[in-house]
Amino acid sequence: MYLQSPLPLGNCGTRLCFPYEELDVSDLNDWTPRPWLALQNPSEAVTRPPALSTEYTTKTKRSEAMMADEATRRVFPTEPASHLRPRSRSVKSLVSTPESSFWRTFRSSTLHPSYLHLPITSLSFSPNSSLLAAASSTSVRVFSSLSLSEYDPTLFATLPLPDLAYSPSFRCDGALIAAGCENGAVRVFDLPNDKPPKTLRRLNAHSCASRVVGFPLLDHKLRLFSAGDDALFVQWDLPTETPLFSVPGAHRDYIRAGAPSPVSPDVFVTGSYDHTVKIWDARVNSGTSSVLSINHGHPVESVLFLPSGGLVATAGGNTIKIWDVIAGGKPVYSVETHNKTVTALTLAKVRDDTRLLSVSIDGYLKSFDFSRFKITHSMRYPAPLLSVAFSPTGTIRVVGTNNGAMYMGIKKKKDEFEDQVGSDDFAWSVPLPEKPTSRKNIRYFKRGQSEKPSEGDFIIKRPEKVKLKEHDRLLRKFLHKDALVSVLKTQQTTSIMAVLEELVARRKLIKCISNLDNDELKLLLSFISKKATQPWCARFFMDLAKWVLEIRAEDIRSGGPEMAVHVRNLRSMVAHEIQVQRSLQEIQGMISPLLVIAGK
Amino acid sequence: MIVGGQSLVTSPPVFSHDGKKLLVCTGCTVSVFSTTTGMLITELEGHTERLTSIVVVPVAGTVGTKFSNYCWTASLDGMIFYWDFSTPDLLKKINVQLPVHSFVIPNILSASLGRSDKASQNLYAFISVEDANKGVENGKHLHGSIQIYDLTNSTRAGGVLAETHKPETLAVSKSGEFVGIKKKQQLNIWRVPNKNLKSVNMKKLKLHHTRTLSCLAFHPTKCIVAAGDVSGRILIWRGFGKMRHSQDGGGKMKIDMGDRPGVRGEDDADSCSTWHWHSSEIKFLMFSSDEAYLFSGAKEGVIVVWQLDTGNKTYKPNIGSPLMYFTDSPDPSLSCVSCEDNQIHLLRMPSMDIIKSISGIKPPLILSELQGDRSRVIIGCDRSIGFVALPTKDYRIQFFSLLDGTDISHLQVIERNYDPVDETTVFISLVEVSDDGSMMSTVEEKLPEMGIGGLISLKFWIRGSHTGQYTLSTIIYEPHNNAGVSDMAFCPGRSMAVSTSYCGNFKVWVNNSSFIHSGDEIQEKGGWRCQSVSSYKEIPMTAAAFSGDGSVLAVAAETKITLWDPLNNVLVAIIGDSLGPIRRLAFVGSSEYIMSFSSGTKADLVVWNISNLSTHWSYKLLVEDICCTRSETRVAVLALLSSSDKSISTGKDGMVLVFDVENPIPVSTWFVKKAKGGRLSFINNKLGEATDGKLLLAYINGEHNYVLFDPSNVKEQEDLIPKSARRPQSYAHDENVSHGYASIYGELPSFDLTKARSSDSIPFVLSERPWETIFSGSSHALPPLSKLCSPFLESLLQKAEKQTVLSQ
Repeated sequence: MYLQSPLPLGNCGTRLCFPYEELDVSDLNDWTPRPWLALQNPSEAVTRPPALSTEYTTKTKRSEAMMADEATRRVFPTEPASHLRPRSRSVKSLVSTPESSFWRTFRSSTLHPSYLHLPITSLSFSPNSSLLAAASSTSVRVFSSLSLSEYDPTLFATLPLPDLAYSPSFRCDGALIAAGCENGAVRVFDLPNDKPPKTLRRLNAHSCASRVVGFPLLDHKLRLFSAGDDALFVQWDLPTETPLFSVPGAHRDYIRAGAPSPVSPDVFVTGSYDHTVKIWDARVNSGTSSVLSINHGHPVESVLFLPSGGLVATAGGNTIKIWDVIAGGKPVYSVETHNKTVTALTLAKVRDDTRLLSVSIDGYLKSFDFSRFKITHSMRYPAPLLSVAFSPTGTIRVVGTNNGAMYMGIKKKKDEFEDQVGSDDFAWSVPLPEKPTSRKNIRYFKRGQSEKPSEGDFIIKRPEKVKLKEHDRLLRKFLHKDALVSVLKTQQTTSIMAVLEELVARRKLIKCISNLDNDELKLLLSFISKKATQPWCARFFMDLAKWVLEIRAEDIRSGGPEMAVHVRNLRSMVAHEIQVQRSLQEIQGMISPLLVIAGK
Repeated sequence: MIVGGQSLVTSPPVFSHDGKKLLVCTGCTVSVFSTTTGMLITELEGHTERLTSIVVVPVAGTVGTKFSNYCWTASLDGMIFYWDFSTPDLLKKINVQLPVHSFVIPNILSASLGRSDKASQNLYAFISVEDANKGVENGKHLHGSIQIYDLTNSTRAGGVLAETHKPETLAVSKSGEFVGIKKKQQLNIWRVPNKNLKSVNMKKLKLHHTRTLSCLAFHPTKCIVAAGDVSGRILIWRGFGKMRHSQDGGGKMKIDMGDRPGVRGEDDADSCSTWHWHSSEIKFLMFSSDEAYLFSGAKEGVIVVWQLDTGNKTYKPNIGSPLMYFTDSPDPSLSCVSCEDNQIHLLRMPSMDIIKSISGIKPPLILSELQGDRSRVIIGCDRSIGFVALPTKDYRIQFFSLLDGTDISHLQVIERNYDPVDETTVFISLVEVSDDGSMMSTVEEKLPEMGIGGLISLKFWIRGSHTGQYTLSTIIYEPHNNAGVSDMAFCPGRSMAVSTSYCGNFKVWVNNSSFIHSGDEIQEKGGWRCQSVSSYKEIPMTAAAFSGDGSVLAVAAETKITLWDPLNNVLVAIIGDSLGPIRRLAFVGSSEYIMSFSSGTKADLVVWNISNLSTHWSYKLLVEDICCTRSETRVAVLALLSSSDKSISTGKDGMVLVFDVENPIPVSTWFVKKAKGGRLSFINNKLGEATDGKLLLAYINGEHNYVLFDPSNVKEQEDLIPKSARRPQSYAHDENVSHGYASIYGELPSFDLTKARSSDSIPFVLSERPWETIFSGSSHALPPLSKLCSPFLESLLQKAEKQTVLSQ
């Protein structure tokens, strides 16, 4: 059989190059020549098995190999059909998304600030000094968040209030805290480090419970807003305790939700049980009419500006809705994943993204990615949830229940880059540009590897790397003699044959032979003396042997005993072949008359 | 009648002034190609001999830019034509009377600029003409001469500027200041005066070199000239002609010899530097339009970009063919390079990416170093679709549609990369396409080195889903031991082929492959196998043919024709002797005749009768090719005329004869040129419905020019070099695609101060109440204010009018 390997050639990378392609003998195992072929002349033709496309890509070569493989032995793997396998919930919940792995880094603990089992109506983190205020019953308890991880956290302070306390709110620098009260008074406290809190101001305007109290988010330290069950909305000037902007009858029902804008100190949003959400601008003194009114459709329990200041999230009933206030209160999206009333909303920093956290009476905390409009995570608690807060550092998550228990999640270990996040502006800042994972981390090298292509994705295959063998590399560099020597060392007849053919095509074989040194010449001679009379390459090698002996006669004569052995081997082999040929001719002479007779 | 196959690279192509058209000399016509699509737009016909030069009239200023598509063309028939190539119309004819080999108009820019104000300025052209009648002067044959011609008055201006051995190519600088030629080992440069152009007051400047120069180029603005020589060196003379041209006959300045590095002898230049990268004759030199680079090219197929100040070079490799010309366009991002394999590549400029290729039919393989009968390269021809399969130098097969005159596809046959510098050691010696085009076989030969190696392999291909796409089915190494394959033939209607060899046997190959569908690909299992081997007295087999129904196989064993049953491998009959070894056999349709011809000293053409195994009629003719129809009894014969014939003097060395096989008197005869190596074929006509069903005869000559005609319609005329056009591939409206500003806002109305244009030229349609919509939309999409102003004001006027009417 005559196999030939088409070889690549190239000129220092300036030309196109064919991938090296070697016809493996095993490919041809089921391609044994037909009897006539074997009889006719073994040194002759071989039909090349399956179609070789004109592009000579390794791909077709691959598919050929696959074809051949499949034809010879087909494998039926023994595995159960997928639809019979039990579907386990745990497996499903363990499906790891980046979000769930983030939430899994929180270690949860429970805290009972008061042992009276009274609902925790509101939770609030201090913007910079890592204090947590929880309103429950008639007091607002302030914890130091550093001690929250301990089993029994130390109480930082307890604010004295005359009646049920509502809505504690820290000032933007964390120095003051304000809280509403069932009797309508709003109190502003000082929070010195070592002394007990001192009531600084008492703001009396509300006739019913002041449920909503808030400092502006921006650096405006002398303002405060409040709203209450008497449907009154007031913006206060703190030093003088006088209302600057007052809207009596702002809503037609209890105001239970309110939030300041992150972009303007004079813009607020309030939500009421009359199903409406109203946007107020203190600069526009237009009586009782708001800047914008949105109908949520359910009694509004919580409202929030999203960090851009252009979107408002409202919670009421089972739904959370996102509104575009710049576009005049256009509904953007509606989330209806809770089964019971959503009670509170807050923003959370998840890695470099911001999420909207919502809690509900049904005991679920859900994390909503408002950039993709997708619920990314949900957690279940054993009690109806009333309030939620997330620390500005992104390390503590607190939910308050109606039975007086606070469930906390504290991040076990801090990511190295989360430390750098500023404390006070987490929720309102533009997300930082995405940081590359550190190269030291093994995840850096594995990132994206587990991504599965989705339906309709156009998959681009990486071009198969052509592995060039040593002699091919040398041929590409036009180091012809080195290529010949390196392939002779491999002792693979087909490769040697292919390299020799290529050298002939480049008109370099004779030059190569005359340049070989003595050791390399021995290598060549030993190869020739072994293979010279093999039928499929005899014609080539007999010519080659003749030339080698002619060109290098001097070297062979002076080459020592080893060289002589090779030449002697060659000679005996040729003599043997002549003997074989002679006997074959005798046989042919005997057979051909018989064939002639048979033909008649 | 369809003519095609002209070389695109006989002379440099020229871009139109806007860079959207490319004017290419194709034989006697100028083909205008679109640079955006690469398709033929129109042809300028009128010359009767090969065109040599085109000069496009540049556009000066902005007046009438759209409409000036004028060019001058010069041809070997001694005529200079002036064309409007957009319509196309022939505007002016000038008879020079001598074959024009090169033609430049140095002052074309200034003439076109000054035409409006100074009508008296004449247009002068430098022409390089061949004067065969020129006497022998000092024992030298000076055939070429450089002359000045006044194109405005159609007269010669003055005498002869220079005389050369053979006509030289003129080079002109972009500013029109200098005109030069290479003359053996020296450059001759003339400075063109602004006025009073007479040969007597033209001063010649000579720059010398030690080797024969091959090309030259002028720097666009500076006094720099570059010349390439036959050894691959590039010489750059800087500051040439300062003394001679500026002094203008005054006292010759003494030249400071020490200060002029590289300048030879008394040459008038500041310095001369030499660059050497190419290993063979420089084919082109071209300065870039930004004056910083010099492009050079030679046989290697690599464009070398030299930085003019430093001599640093970058390369554009992978063009894959010896280069011929490089032309830059007025558009700085576009240029083109012509290759020897009849291709013009349009390049996107700074990166030199090939945007489009205009490719003609590939030139024939020339295997001069090969011995005798092996040098015959057989090209295949598909009758049903009318394309030819041509083996090319770069180990491919080009499929070329004769009917459309377009390149269909290329097929890599030999798994090697082509390098123009390497000598040919591997080549495709035979291509045979089956009648229906579904199968193809190729034979490639690897030549031995000093008797070692050498390999002949036969490849079978099957057609893919569309025309010209073939996939490899089977490779057979050494199909006939060591001997070459002399002929191949496919059996009509069956997957069967026969190959004959010089070693005295022939093999019948059959394809018993089964197709396996795996995914979206169809895999072929099996392939072509040898069904039978036969020989006849060990005589070399030289030709083979199947009869129309595939039941009889005729194989020529030198002078005898043996008839076989291909299925059972039985010798049926032997038909007598021809005079010489038979080169090709053909069954005549479904009739009982078989035709053969032999070459050599005893050349003949014989028609044999199979039924009574005898000669029907014969001619003593040196035949190059024969071709028979499958159904009718017509045969076409391409015969070479012997040198004693009279027609040789006119360049026609062959004739095409059409016979009815019953009758030895030819039905019709045509004389053709360059018949050596030609090929004939009948192909189905698919051009028009009226002529449907009729067969066209295709004649491809030795230079791969071809003509298709209906042999029953065409009168017996002198030659088959008609001038009728190919069908343009693209139409004029392709060219009207507007770009940039115009595509967004429409054409700007032409601005004429003298005549106030009415508002109908405003390109956008106004609504009923334009003041409402005119300013709507984003500002970047609004038309410019200058255009908005007048409709807006108009609308206001109308509004006021209405109001007044109402108030009345």
